[in-house]
Parts: sequence; C-alpha cells; structure tokens
Amino acid sequence: MELTTLKVSLRFCGMFLVFAAQAAAQSTVSTARSALAVIEKHCLICHGATQMSGLDLRQRESALKGGTRGPALVAGKPDESLLYKAVKGIDALKMPPGKESLSPADIEILRAWIVEGAPWGGSERKAAEPSWWAFRKPIRPEVPRVQNPEWVLNPLDAFVLNLLEQKNLKPAPPADKRTLVRRAYFDLLGLPPTPKDIEDVIQDTSPDAYEKLIERLLSSPHYGERWGRHWLDVARYADSGGFETDIFYRNAWRYRDYVVKSFNDDKPYDRFLQEQIAGDELWPDDLDLEKQYKISRTKLEHLEARIGTGLYTLGPEIHESNMDARKLLNEKLTDAVDTTGAVFLGLTLGCARCHNHKFDPITQRDYYRLQAVFADSKEMETPVVMGMSVADYKQHYLGLIVADEARAAYRLFEERVRQRVVKAKKAGFAAEAVEAYEVPEKKRTPKQQELAEPLAKAISEIKIDDELSAEEAKEQRTLLDRIARAVLALPEKDAQGFPFDGIMDVPTASVLGHIDAPLVPEVYVLHRGDLGQEREKVGPGVPEVLGDSHSFVESAAGPFALRNRAKLALWLSQDAHPLTARVMVNRIWQWHFGRGIVSTPNDFGRQGQLPSHPQLLDWLATEFVSCGWSIKAMHRLVMLSNTYRMSSQYPDPASARLDPENRYLSRMNRRRLEGEAQWDSLHAIAGTLNLKIGGRPVTPPLAPDELAALVGSEAKVASGRLWSVSSDPAQHNRRGIYVVSRRTFPYPMFEAFDNPENAISCPERDVTTVSPQVLWFLNNRLVFQQAQHFAARLVSEKGNQPADWVERAWQLALGRPPSNQESQEALRLLDAFARKAAESRDWPDLPDGLRAIPLNQAAALTKLCLSVFNLSEFSYVD
Amino acid sequence: MNQARCRRHEAVHSRREFLEKSAFGFGALALAHLIDKESAFGSVFPGTRAAAANNPLAAKPPHFTAKARSVVLIFLQGGPSHVDTFDPKPTLNRLDGQLLPPSFQSEGLNLQNLKASEAKLMGSRFAFKRYGKSGLEMSDLFQRVGQYADDLAVIRSCYHDLFIHGPALNLLYTGSNLEGHPSVGSWVLYGLGSASDNLPAYIAITEGNLGSRSRKSFRSGFLPAVFQGTLLRAESSPIMNLSPPPQFDVAEQRMMLDQINVWNWRYQESRTDDSRLSARISNYELAFRMQAAAPELIDISKEPPHVRQMYGLDETPTAEFGRICLLGRRMVERGVRFVQLISTDWDGHGECDKNHLQNSRKVDKPIAALIGDLKQRGLLESTLIVMVGEFGRTPVMQGNLGRDHSPYGFSACLAGGGIRGGKVIGATDELGFRAVEDKIHVHDLHATMLSLLGLDHKKLTYFFQGRDRRLTDVGGENDLAQRLIKA
Repeated sequence: MELTTLKVSLRFCGMFLVFAAQAAAQSTVSTARSALAVIEKHCLICHGATQMSGLDLRQRESALKGGTRGPALVAGKPDESLLYKAVKGIDALKMPPGKESLSPADIEILRAWIVEGAPWGGSERKAAEPSWWAFRKPIRPEVPRVQNPEWVLNPLDAFVLNLLEQKNLKPAPPADKRTLVRRAYFDLLGLPPTPKDIEDVIQDTSPDAYEKLIERLLSSPHYGERWGRHWLDVARYADSGGFETDIFYRNAWRYRDYVVKSFNDDKPYDRFLQEQIAGDELWPDDLDLEKQYKISRTKLEHLEARIGTGLYTLGPEIHESNMDARKLLNEKLTDAVDTTGAVFLGLTLGCARCHNHKFDPITQRDYYRLQAVFADSKEMETPVVMGMSVADYKQHYLGLIVADEARAAYRLFEERVRQRVVKAKKAGFAAEAVEAYEVPEKKRTPKQQELAEPLAKAISEIKIDDELSAEEAKEQRTLLDRIARAVLALPEKDAQGFPFDGIMDVPTASVLGHIDAPLVPEVYVLHRGDLGQEREKVGPGVPEVLGDSHSFVESAAGPFALRNRAKLALWLSQDAHPLTARVMVNRIWQWHFGRGIVSTPNDFGRQGQLPSHPQLLDWLATEFVSCGWSIKAMHRLVMLSNTYRMSSQYPDPASARLDPENRYLSRMNRRRLEGEAQWDSLHAIAGTLNLKIGGRPVTPPLAPDELAALVGSEAKVASGRLWSVSSDPAQHNRRGIYVVSRRTFPYPMFEAFDNPENAISCPERDVTTVSPQVLWFLNNRLVFQQAQHFAARLVSEKGNQPADWVERAWQLALGRPPSNQESQEALRLLDAFARKAAESRDWPDLPDGLRAIPLNQAAALTKLCLSVFNLSEFSYVD
Repeated sequence: MNQARCRRHEAVHSRREFLEKSAFGFGALALAHLIDKESAFGSVFPGTRAAAANNPLAAKPPHFTAKARSVVLIFLQGGPSHVDTFDPKPTLNRLDGQLLPPSFQSEGLNLQNLKASEAKLMGSRFAFKRYGKSGLEMSDLFQRVGQYADDLAVIRSCYHDLFIHGPALNLLYTGSNLEGHPSVGSWVLYGLGSASDNLPAYIAITEGNLGSRSRKSFRSGFLPAVFQGTLLRAESSPIMNLSPPPQFDVAEQRMMLDQINVWNWRYQESRTDDSRLSARISNYELAFRMQAAAPELIDISKEPPHVRQMYGLDETPTAEFGRICLLGRRMVERGVRFVQLISTDWDGHGECDKNHLQNSRKVDKPIAALIGDLKQRGLLESTLIVMVGEFGRTPVMQGNLGRDHSPYGFSACLAGGGIRGGKVIGATDELGFRAVEDKIHVHDLHATMLSLLGLDHKKLTYFFQGRDRRLTDVGGENDLAQRLIKA
C-alpha cells in the first residue's frame, strides 16, 4: 500500500477546532479580550476540550449553559456567576485548583467583564485556538530584509543577521579554511581530517571547494555513524535493560545499525518516524523469509521498517517486573509514551502520568489515551535470515545436542568427584557431627545445627579443581576437551555465509508486533499513576490540544482500517503538524551549533525555553517539509550558510558583553568533543582506528582499576561475565558507537565524558569539566598505548628527525602546523624526556614501529605524543 | 520507572551554562596555586583569579547555623530487620510461631509474597538489652554500637511504600523512587560546597560486591556532575587512573604537565570567554594533587596498633568493614564533606537471623569504633552519622526462618552532628508491621539531615525539567532536627 494513499484516506479533520464566531456583543473590546485571555490561560486546560465536570469555557453558549455544577456565567451578575465565585473563592468551590489563585487584577478583569454581559465577540483570537506558539502550525515567514545583504548566502543567514542587527550585534568574520575543514569533519563524521584532507581543500581554489567538501562528507558512510549516534541519545539506546541484573538485549544493535543506515540513506524523516512507531502496521508483511530463496527488495524494505520499531524494545526494564505482568505492561507503556513524547513531539508527557500536566494543556486522559495506542503491541523476535538459513540451523542443531551432552557428562563427573570428597571429609569428623549433618537442615535441632556446622562449612567450601586425583585430572581434561570440541564443531555461519548469532542462534531482530485482539489489555486512567487506582477506561487517541481525537476513533472502522500506531505515526508525520518538523529541525540545528533554537529540545511546552529565532525555526520547519523531510538537505542549508562558517571568536568585545551566551550567534560556538568523538580521534590519530561499520557491539579491555571499579568483586571480575572482552584485538579499536552500551556498566571513559544515562531520551549531552577526565588522559593505560602507536606512526612516516615528528604530530592531532615557538618547546621537551629515559631501561610492550629508533628517543616521543593528546585543542573544536 | 532524566541535562540553558562555565572541579585552590607558580619552562600564567571565584564547589554558607559540617552515611543495603535490631517487640516474641491475630489480617497488610492468612509470626532470635544511662533498647546485633547509646537517636517509625530494592534504594539515596535523581550527598555538596582542596568532597566506599544499586547511589542525577560522588573501593585501586603509567616517574609527569599547561594556557588566552578551558587547566593541577593525596588517604599502615584493634582490622569478619570505617574517619578528618559507607548484604529472605548475625560480626565493631574514634577526636559533634537501610523486614516468617521486605515501618539510627543522644522517636505497631506513632517518611529523614547541616530543604532547590526540584520533593514537613538536638 502506498503511503500517500494512506495519508489521503485518513481525512483528518484538521488540527484545530475552529468555532464559529459568536455574535459580537457591543462592548469594550479590550475587556473581553483580557477576560478571555485570563480564561484561556487559567481555565481551558480543564474546561476546554477536556470539559471537566461537563464545563466548556471555549464558547459563550456552553459557558452560560455550564456543567454539572450549573451555569458558569450569569451575564451582568458576577456574584451569581459560578466562575467568578470560584476564582474569588467565595463558596466552597475554589478555582483554579491548587495553591495558586488568580491575581486580584485578573479577578477584577473577570468581574468587570461579567458586569458588561460577558461578551465574546470582541476577541480577535478564538479562545479555542491553542495559545501556545508550539501548538500552532508553523507558517512560513517572509525572509527578512537586512542592512547588509552581502553577508547573506542563503535565507538562513538573513534570519540570523536580521536578529543580530536588531540587537546591535555583529557577525564574526569567517573562520579560516583550515578551521572550517576540521569543524566540518568533526561535525559530519566525528573524525579528525587527515593532513591531506585539509591540504586538498586548501589547495582547491575553485569557488565551490567548500561545497564539494560538504558533499564528500555527506556521502561518507561514517556520516551515519556520527549522526546516528546523536539520534541514539534521543532514542535512549542501550544494549541492556539497566538496574541490578542489567538484562542483556542481544539484538539492540540491529536498531543501532538501522539508525546508522537510515541517516546514510538520507531516509526522509517522516518515513523514519513512521517506521519506528509503526513500521509493522504501515508496511504489513509476514516477513516470512522462509520459503524464499531470494528476498525481494520490497521485503527487505519492510524488514528494515520493522527493525525501526526496535525503538520500543530497548528501554530500561527491571528484571523483577517480569514477576508481575500488569506492572511490566504498565512500565512498557509508560516508556513508550514518554519516549514518543520526548523524541517526536518534543513534549514532557511524563508529568501527565500522575496528574493533568501542570503547565501544558496535556491531560491525564491524553496520557493514557496515548498508552492505549501501544496497548495492543508486544515485543517479538523476527528472524532476519532466509528459510535456508533456518533450515541450516535445524540441520546443525544436532551439534548443539552434542555440546549439551558433553556438558552433561562433565556435570556427572563433577558430582562423582564431589561425592568422593564429601565422603573423605566426613571421615575426618566425629560420628555425631556426621550424624547431625545427615539430618536435613530444616529438621536439625540447635544442638545438631551446631555439631553439623563445621562439616557443612567444609563441604560447602569444596573446590573440585583442588581435589582431583591424577586420574581424575586426566578425565577432567578429556571431558573439558569434549565440550570444547563440540562447541568448536558448531558452525559460525550458515551455508550461505550468513553468520549465526552467538554460539549458534538464528539471527533475529527485536521488533514490535501485536497481541491477539481478545487479549489486548484495557487501559485506564490511573489515579496518581498508581496501578491500584484505576479510574476511567480510555481508548487510543492523541492529545486533544493537538488534534481532533474523534477522527482517531472513527477511522478505526472499516475493512482497511489502520491500526493505532499507524494512525499515531501518520498523525505525527503530517506536513502541517505543529511540532514534528519543528522538533527535528531544532535537533539538527542543535547538533550543528551546540544549542538548539529552542534550547530545550525535548520540551517545546510552556516550561521549555522560547525559541531564540522563532521565525527562523518556522522557516526551517516548513523548508524541511518542502524538501521532502530530507535531513541532508538541512545539513547543506546549515553548513553552506555564512552563519555556520563564522569564526568561533566574538567579533568584538561589545558582542561578547551584549550576548555572553552567544544566543544570537554572532560567532560559531566552540565545542568540546563527546566521549566517543575523543575516543575515535585518539585512535584515528594514532593510526589504529578500525573503521568497520555495524555489527554486534564490541567490548574493549579495561585497565584493572577500571574493571574493579566497574564490576566490583574480584570473583565477578574473574568470571568475566560482566565485562567479557572481545577476543579479536582489532575489535578493540572500533568507533565509539560500537562499544557496548550497558545501562548499568557504562564504559568508564564515556561515562567520564558525560555519556547519557539512557534511562530516558537525552536531548542534549551535558558538558562537564571534572578531574576524572584529565586523570583519564594523563594516566589511562589505553591512552598511553595509543600514544605509543602515535609515536610509532610518526617514526614510520617521518623517519628519525625530531623536527619532522613534531611537525607531523601537530598536523595529525590538531590539523595545523606547530608555531615556531611550539616546535622549539616540543623539541626541548623531547630532549628532556630523552635524557630522563636514558636512565631507565625497562619498557614493556614497546610497539615494533618504535624499535627503529633508540629506546630513550622512543620513550621521549611517546611522552610527547601523550602530551599532545592532553591539549585542550585536541578535545575542542573551534 | 523510566522517568530518570538524562543524567546531567538541565532544562534551563542559562543556568546550566553558568555552572558549566564555572565548573572548576575540585581545583579552585589548586588553580590559585598554579597561577602563582612558575613552570619549569619559566612561563607565567595569565591571572584568572576571578574565574576561580566561580568554583561551584567553593565552600558556601549554610542557610542557618549548622550543627554538623560533614556526614557519614552508613548504608545497610538489603534491608536490616528492625525487629531484630533497634525495635524490640515483646508481643511479637510472645506470639512466635502463631498465625496473625485477626485484627492484623483484616487490615490489608501488604505482604506481597506472603499470605496474611497463612503467615506465621516470628519473634526475634536476638536478645534486646538496655544500654547506657538512657537505657536505649537495642539487640545484641549492635551491642558494641550500644556502648554509645547515649550518643544515639533511634527513629523507630521510618516508613515508605516501596517494596522492592531498586526503587526503595533510589528513594533512600535520592529522595525519589525513580532513576536519575541526585543523591543526598550531591544535594549536600550543591548546598555547602567542598571543604577539601585536594580530595573529592563526596566519597562513597563499599564492601564486597558493588552492584549497580550502590553505583547509582552517589550519582549527581540532574545536578551538574561536579557534585557527584567519587567511588573508592575498599581494596585494589581506589580511584580510576590515579597512578601514572609505569614508564613515568613523578618528575617526568610534572615536566609534562608544566608543558601541557603552557600550551593549554596559550590556547585559552585567545579564548578567554570560555571558562571551561581554564577549568580544564585547574583540573590538571587537582588531578596531580589527587595522585598524591588519595593514596595518602587510603594508606592506613601508619595507624597505631590500638586503632587497628579498635576497628578490628586484623580479624577476619571485621577486617573489610573496619577498613572502610577507618577510611571514613580519615576522610572526615581531611575535610571530605559527605562520606557514604556501604554494607551490602542485609537481604535476609532465608534464615534472617543467620544473615544478620554474619553482618553484625562484620560491621558492629567497626561502626562502634568509628563513633568512638570520632568522639575521641572531637569530630563527632560536627559529624552527623546516619545508619539506615532501604526498608525493614516483616515480623512474619518467609520460607525458612527468613523475613521479607517491609517498608511500612523500619528504624534509622543517628549519632553526632549536634544530636543529644539516648533518644527514641516514634514507634511501630505492637508487632512491628507499620509505623504508627510519629511517622517519619524518608523525606522527613532527608529534611532532618539537611537541617542539621544548616540547610533548609525547601530552599535547597534546583530548576530542572519545568520546576524547582528538591531532595524532599513535596514532603519533608516533619523535620526532626530541633527535637534531636534538644537535651
């Protein structure tokens, strides 16, 4: 089914309820306008579309009619008007609820207005239209005129410059080419440019040299890794569930790879959204890859769309919640709604779980209606291989039985030895101790318990490995060997060469599917979010303030009816949705500039920040939609603007004084690289980075102190289960995005550099500056190793001239040559290190590349390289 | 359960940036030292004293006169049984083995995994005695701590309603059952700042298994990360990356650091509006100092034999927690503001008495030593000690002589920080199921802790995701501080 057809068939009734204008009473227009503004601000959250207590204050008739408590207004008679009495607190009923009352001024406005007959007509804006800017559809603004049109390269510049001019600020001069290349590389790829990359651009004197650079970067497969990682923050991605047991999600990485691919493919954002929320419902497909030898392109696309729904399968999960199905369901639904709200709507819906949103017009009912959208969904595993692979798996299953039997044989052996040792231990104890021990533990008298204790302890401490006779030891080796061989005999790949998962599992993806209709749980509004306090039962819908939920219910009928998530996805991805495009262009802006136009990217509600450039935001949002929701088109727009190309230095002290936070962009923002980007840079500069894309997460080794701090007890360290290092060393140098991301055991370096905790959507990483970060750079063994590799690289590329090393080191790490002063200082430091190093001879693990020069020089060069890694300039991008 | 917030994100940009720009880590004093110092290469650093004044960890005055300057939170993780420790229940002992009286069956006891109609009461296997002049009643499990009964205040009416470990621990540690909220220690640091210039101001140290639960217990949640606790392990490497690679000696590292500083200052010079860059430089100095100060802190080899003996360092059951408690005292001495000591294994589902006896053998002597040692050194008066778990345990038996979790009534034990000891506050019902008298919610306990530190829990707020957040959320009305410090 074509998506466009679907869209048309939905016939949304329009985003906003529009009410016929009321007959205009001849009265003071301003009083009515003020009064309606007060009502809109304080009353309509409950007495608007929600009609709490049956009262609807959006229209005069309905207000006069009133709700269950009777008429709210009696024209001309404030003292008889319930509305006035309630805000004034005259009788028992006090409104609005809670501690805060209306200001005396507002109360007086209402009184005067009622005296005048409570007219509606003077108000130019209907009280029913959402008053909050973000809930109104973006209207494409005119590109403003500016005083200095030469500066404007594209419309985006006009909006920025216009505000700068209004604020008496100046734009900074352009950054030099070298800085710009480094900025663009880190921005789009998260990797440093090589010296050649930089030289190529500098040497290219054609007018479109920079444009060509941007195109080159956008077509790099590493672009998707960089921007996919941004999205994974928002998607609260992790490979495990968190909490004590940190249950592992073996397939989460398929969603990660899906995200990387989607960015690389420049998948239109509306489609990207639709796939994640409802890939299964919008592109229904049995995905029965069996019975087909060749999978059609369409099927592959449908499979990809389905993997997108993995978004809803990788949230945090408490192990123990699985004891209680209702609780688990509630937690899943909560995660689904909070995630959807934060990620796609840019709203903090979570507040409405326990009470009507205090600040945004989102009711508790809205919240649970959204939960109901997800109530018929369930997590499932879908195979991602063809039928032949599954058949191969079944064929090889006998191998698993062999391995299982080998293990069983070993267990029998273990028990036999244990019994022998137990017997021997008993012989060493007095008869009454043995006798007491033989009594089942629960039936022992205290005396027997006391007698049995030492023997019980001795038995519980038996370690088979310490007790083996020579013959048994031999048998053990044979049995262990049998297990090993049985495991090794299992194929890693199927006959087509497609790898199995793990030891030998059919590769699957965790996706959303459906619960059979009769089993779909009912969703109730929960008083205070408490499962024990069910209130009104609700069906699926979207927040009233944002749309007409009736259409959501009505379109459920008919043979081609859409399911709920599909409806939600299509509703969200309408061109005219007030939030969807705005929220995403704001994220794109934020990831380019370090701060969004709305600086609270997951909160476009009243508690969020107002946009710094509201017109620009709306222009970008509408442009985004008209470019077919192309994210790469937005990159071009942003990066080819003059705004993006500014220097990161304030143009003059006045600008720094007037706009110290650089809210209006009189310069580019300087950025500290994220943990992953620093990790990638370190390896890239050392020449060790493995640029393989995708696949299962990798687990790099940790230094003993890191491991101890992360995992805890020595026993757990020894078992290796909590941090099972990837065996292939080439995997240790993969990009940061591929390092296993466990909620409970975050990779220490990433944690030190502010990785998100991933419990909920993280719209913006914090940037802290704390001492554990510099301890990592100074002392971590991995950094030291990379410094050695960096040194070895310099020697292999530049021979044995220290001045050449310094020159090259600066070029590689900082993207620029060293100044004369820096060169001299670096050479002096090298000398000083070399003199020191001459005194010591011990240098474990010296890489081969460094053996070409004397040891003291190798040591000195390594330490210089380590110093370069410690430069602020390495970690910051201008 | 997933309402945790993206760890360090704060909604209001300007304030976040303010803190970020002034995030000098622990090194404000180190920075001052650095500025005065000439490097090995003769470079003079530009003056940024003004920037150092923005240090978010600088000591701040309390809201009102404080009784305590520092805190030692001793956490008995897993949930110690109140009826076996600080809350004697003669009626329960008398009815040992019997079914619940009808009055208890009908009141909807939330027994979770047990059936009220089948559950059997289980009296305590431990003897309760009166200790000190005050005659404070405690069980044998804490007989050594009992020696300081006249310094202790026991709250027997703590309560909340979270039945499983994760959320309950979150509540005790952060004031919220959800993930992502700042720990008590982070709030205290946010309120009072640091009192040490070469050690982290907030240190947690734990015995044995460091589960994720205890790891989250010292996080800064939505507060800036500068307020988070630093984890020290009892053994092995106390702080990550604390010692230079073996190929370095300190002189070489100093040499390297001096040159790095020169280059980093030069980079910063043309970017003076970005205070992160100067903060980063000051962190290099603090890091350098921590390399020396942290090992000195954990080197207990110079403690005299009587101290070793007092903490039980040379006896198997007490060695580990003894070391933890001794380290706790050394931290308090060195100005660490908030010390969190974690005992991890009080979850007595089966054979609760055995479990508790084992734990008691591990911690009773060291905790008593810590109280006595601080007292002897005149530090107890200014150090608030709080001992508590995430909940109590059921008065009825679970499985084989075990007790299940019970959050509806449990005990906390406080000492020092201006508290006049020998007090009992509140009570549970006659069987110990629920707090009934003078009920103290966890928020009240937190409010009390802040209050003794001179902080008003309602004023200690931080704007995050739409509202001014508090450690005590919307609770904490029952601040016990005044009652505790009264004779």
